[in-house]
This record gives sequence, C-alpha cells and structure tokens, in this order.
Amino acid sequence: MNNAIPAGPGPEPPLSLIFDPQKRLARLAGALTVDAPRSIWRPLEPDKASASVAGINGELTLDLAGLTALDLNGSAQVLSVINQLDRSGVQVSVRGLPDDLAVILELAREALKAPTASPPPRIGLIEETGRKLVAIKNDAATLVTFTGKLVIDFLSSLRHPSSVRWATVEHVAEVSGVNAVPIVALVSLLVGLIIAFQSAMVLKFVGLEIFVADMVGVAIVRELGPLITAIVLAGRSGSAFSAELGAMKAAEEVDAITTMGLSPVRELALPRVLASLLTTPVVTLFACFAGIWGGCLVLTAMGYSLLTYWQEAISMVTGTTFNICIFKSIIFGFVVAAIGCQRGLAAGDGPGAVGEATTSGVVTNIVVVAVIDSLLAVLFYVWDI
Amino acid sequence: MDKTMATPVRVEGLTVAYGQNPPILENLNFAIRTGEVFGILGGSGSGKSSVLRNLIGLVKPRAGQVFIFGQDMWAEEGRWLNVCRRRFGMMYQAGALFGSLNLLENVSMPLREFTDMSPAAVETAARMKLSLVGLAGFEYYLPVRISGGMQKRAAIARALALDPKLIFLDEPSAGLDPITSAGLDQLIRTLARNLGISFGVVTHELGSVMNIVDRAILLDKAAKGIVAEGRPADLAQMTWPPYVVAFFHRRPLEDEGKISEANNARQ
Repeated sequence: MNNAIPAGPGPEPPLSLIFDPQKRLARLAGALTVDAPRSIWRPLEPDKASASVAGINGELTLDLAGLTALDLNGSAQVLSVINQLDRSGVQVSVRGLPDDLAVILELAREALKAPTASPPPRIGLIEETGRKLVAIKNDAATLVTFTGKLVIDFLSSLRHPSSVRWATVEHVAEVSGVNAVPIVALVSLLVGLIIAFQSAMVLKFVGLEIFVADMVGVAIVRELGPLITAIVLAGRSGSAFSAELGAMKAAEEVDAITTMGLSPVRELALPRVLASLLTTPVVTLFACFAGIWGGCLVLTAMGYSLLTYWQEAISMVTGTTFNICIFKSIIFGFVVAAIGCQRGLAAGDGPGAVGEATTSGVVTNIVVVAVIDSLLAVLFYVWDI
Repeated sequence: MDKTMATPVRVEGLTVAYGQNPPILENLNFAIRTGEVFGILGGSGSGKSSVLRNLIGLVKPRAGQVFIFGQDMWAEEGRWLNVCRRRFGMMYQAGALFGSLNLLENVSMPLREFTDMSPAAVETAARMKLSLVGLAGFEYYLPVRISGGMQKRAAIARALALDPKLIFLDEPSAGLDPITSAGLDQLIRTLARNLGISFGVVTHELGSVMNIVDRAILLDKAAKGIVAEGRPADLAQMTWPPYVVAFFHRRPLEDEGKISEANNARQ
C-alpha cells in the first residue's frame, strides 16, 4: 500500500511521504522546512486502537535520500515523529540523508540531547488554598507593618512639619483631590437624584413627598457622600498611587531612595497620604452638596420650592451628622491613600507587576472601605449616635 | 532568482527621519550578504537604531528602498511588509520577551501562529532552539526569573523560531559582563557558520565588533551618513576621517564641528 500526500505547489519539488508497510519503508522527498504541513506525516501516525503504525511493529526505515532541503524545524518534525513511533514500539532507522542536510539533522539531534526541564507539577486544590491563605496572612501583616510605619512618620511630621515635602503634598492634593471634584460631584448628584426618585415613588402614595428631602439629606451626608467619595477616589487616586509607585519600584527609584538612607514610606507614601487627608474631607463636602442638589432636582420638578426643599434637607443635617461625615471622610482618605501607596511599594518585578499592584490596590481599597463603613454603621447604632 | 535577488538585505538611497523633522541620515547604500555578520556601527545618537527600525519595517523610510531577499519592503503600499517581516528574526536590545509566557511558550508562539507543525513538533523545535542558545533546562522559567544575558539568549532563540536566514540584533552585548558577552558572540558566530544565517548587528561594543563582525558600516550624525565601510580590522587601521579613528581607538573628539566640516568636505 502506498500513501502519498503531496504538500502543494512551490518552487521546490513537492514534499511527499511514500509509505510501504510491506517493506517497512517510508520515503520522504522534497523540501522539509518550517512550511511543511503536518498532514505529510499522517501515514506514520500510530493507530489509536492498536497502538501500532499501519499494523506494523518492530522496525521501520525512514529514507530521506529524496530531501532537497531541511531546516531545524523540519528536523524537529522528523525527530518528533521518530520519538512518537518509538513510544508506539516502532524503532526507526534513518538513512540516505545527503551529507549537507545530515549536518542540520545532527545539529538538531545534538541540541535535543541536553537535559531539558519537565513541566512544573500542577498544584492541587488543597495546596492552592493553603498558599492563598498564607499569602493573605502575609499580606495582612505587611499592610499592618506599613500602616505602623506610616503612623510613626505621620506623628513625626506633626512634630517637625518642615521635614514634610510640602511641594509634593500640594501637587498630589491638586492632581488627586481637586481634580477629582467634578467626577465625585457628578456621581453624587446622580445618586442623590436616584434616591429622591425611588423614595418619591413610595412616599407620594401617602402624600409625604417632602420627606424625600429629609431622607436625601441624611443619606447623603451621613452615609453616601463619604462612601461615594471614597470609592471614586479609590478608583481614581488610589489606583494612580499604586501605578506610580509600582512604576518607580520597577525603575529601581524606590531602591535608590532606600540606599540613600531615606525611607520610601516617608518620602513617597507620607506626602500622598497627607494630601489625601487634607483633600478628601473637602471633596466629600462637594459630594454631599451635589447629592443634595440631585434630590432637589426631583423635588422641584414635583412642584416644591427650592427653599422648602433646602430647609427640609438641611434641617436633618445636625452637627453630629456633619461630624460623622467629616470623621468618615478622614478615615477613608487615609485608607485609600495608604493602601494605594502600600500596593505600589509592594509591587513585584516584571511587566505585569504594575498592573497587578493597581488592581490589587483598587480591590483592597473598595473592600476595606466597605468593611470600615459597615463597622462604623454598627458602632454608631450601638452608641446611639 | 539571480544573485542580487537573493541578497538578504539591500538598502538603496535610504533617508532616515522622524516625522517632519530634518533627516538624521541621508542616502545610505549598503547590503548584507548571505551568511555574513554585518555590523551597523556608530556612537550614541548616530542613528544606528533608527536605521534598524527602517530595516525591520517599523518606520517607513523618508526616501529610498529596503529590499529583503530582493523584495522591496514598502512596495505596493506596504502589501509586502508582513511577508518580508516573516523572513527575518529580530532580537531587541532588552530581549522583549513576553513576560507572561515562559521561555518555551515564547519560542513556540511564532511556530504556533505561522506554521502547520503538530504540537509535539512545535515543542521539540522550541526545546531545540532553546538548547542551541544554551538554555536547555530553563524551558519553564518566566523571563523575569532569568538574567539579562539569558534573556538575550532566549530572545535569539525566539528570533530563530521560524528558521529565518536573516536575523537582526540590536545591541546584543549591551549591559552584559565580558564572559556572557563573549558567550553571546560565540553563539552568533556558531549560528552564522552552522546554519548559514546572515546577521545584521547594531552595536557600538568594539570587542564584539572585532570578534564577530565580517563587514561593517560606521554612521556619523555630523556627516549624516556612512563615513566608513569594510572589515572591522581594516577600519581600525584607517587614519582618516577623524571620527573613524576616534571610534576605533576610543579617543574623544576634540572638535566635533571641525571634524564634521572636514568629513563633509571630503564627501
């Protein structure tokens, strides 16, 4: 039986494999190069059912006298097929290869004699879970250590304000705080508007639409204003801190600071945290103002006067509510900047490290902000504040 | 196919410029012959890497033509660009390995994308290429986990993936210690001799130039072109122009303005 599969037209003679099972002989002719199709080897593929090649076992001769060209990838195909046949119990002997091409095949064969590595073993579910838990524990410890250093540097900066890099603080405050006001205000305005709409749909049945103003006032100032600000800043400014510091770490700038005997936390993280502490409460106030105006748009559209809405909304914002708002915004400002900086300074090596640090910073920030907000809600309830 | 058509690289009247800025190099003419290691030499800022970007088709020449194995790269509005690109390999200065892929996957990728080889043959070929550059045993390492010299070797293995007859190397010895650099030089010579590969090497490392380069051109930004061409040993013997002497004898140029005027006057 002869199986001949031409490889297609070309300037060289077409590549073909003629296999004669009776003679246990396969003749390969033409140019066996990187462009050779895999179908050329089909006659020598082991039969899956019998694990033999065209019913033969034992020995097979591969005659390469007809080859007109051979490169390393062609050699790889030959050696791969020989290896495959060997695993199926067929010993292949090669013959007839012209001397100039035999050099290439020999070079390939020699290269493959070097000890190679095996794929790393797959990690089981239990080991993977264990590794993840250890990583979370180490991560938490790193975060606590970093926070400790930051607090010490912060307290030190209060004692020696002149040691703080105020130019950096001013720049960061503008870029990550002042420039964030429009987006924070827009999101807050829309959230205020949505709350007012949803509340009005229910309260209008009992004719108490005016209490929408009270609800918007309390919800925005006490809860949503600080929360929206923190989440937007986590996505906008915290991620920027992670990316910026991660890139500095990759460029060995952080190492340069360390070898100068300076503290990266003090030089890089502290100015950003201070800027965030100073600007986040102000940005939060803008967010509260915009959120209340969002509710105002709904109520005025329903026929209430601006003055009525405003008086009603503000009446619910007591000094305590306002203080809670500012307190939360300070906490969130610290958390967002600190976690963003910590993730950047802890970035690994490699091209994906900055991206990973940024993603990790945003995710950690949002989770931590949500957890802290929940804890504060419970505490304020318990303390009846 | 005549001999001219088979020349791996032929450059005719190449003018190198960025955007609408004045050209940095004008009317370059040279060829890389079959099986030779060809050096594109020059000091920092002389435009040698810019020439390379023109040769590999990343930048369209302001004027002139680049022929890869006889095919004008930019003919017919770039129709032949990718055909030409597939006929050479390229090693970037920092390796440019894909950071998320291990070395085996880095080398396998071109084979998977551009050939019809079976997965087993692709893996065999990739392991072989890595072994040829001395990286057997490092197949499953990510690029970030190996040294700079090993990254350059892996980048050469990737450049070898499709068995091109032409490979461009951008500063292969830059940032390497003398031993690693000598190893890389030896590898390039071995590949050129055993596989008949032509190399276009951009470098300013005189040690490597003397070790591996068969023929070279020397670029000078002041002269806006090639100031010398020939075997490195012959170039090192030249007594004129001053830039060539300063380059090959590692001497500072005392008055660049006067020298460039002199160079221009002689041209």
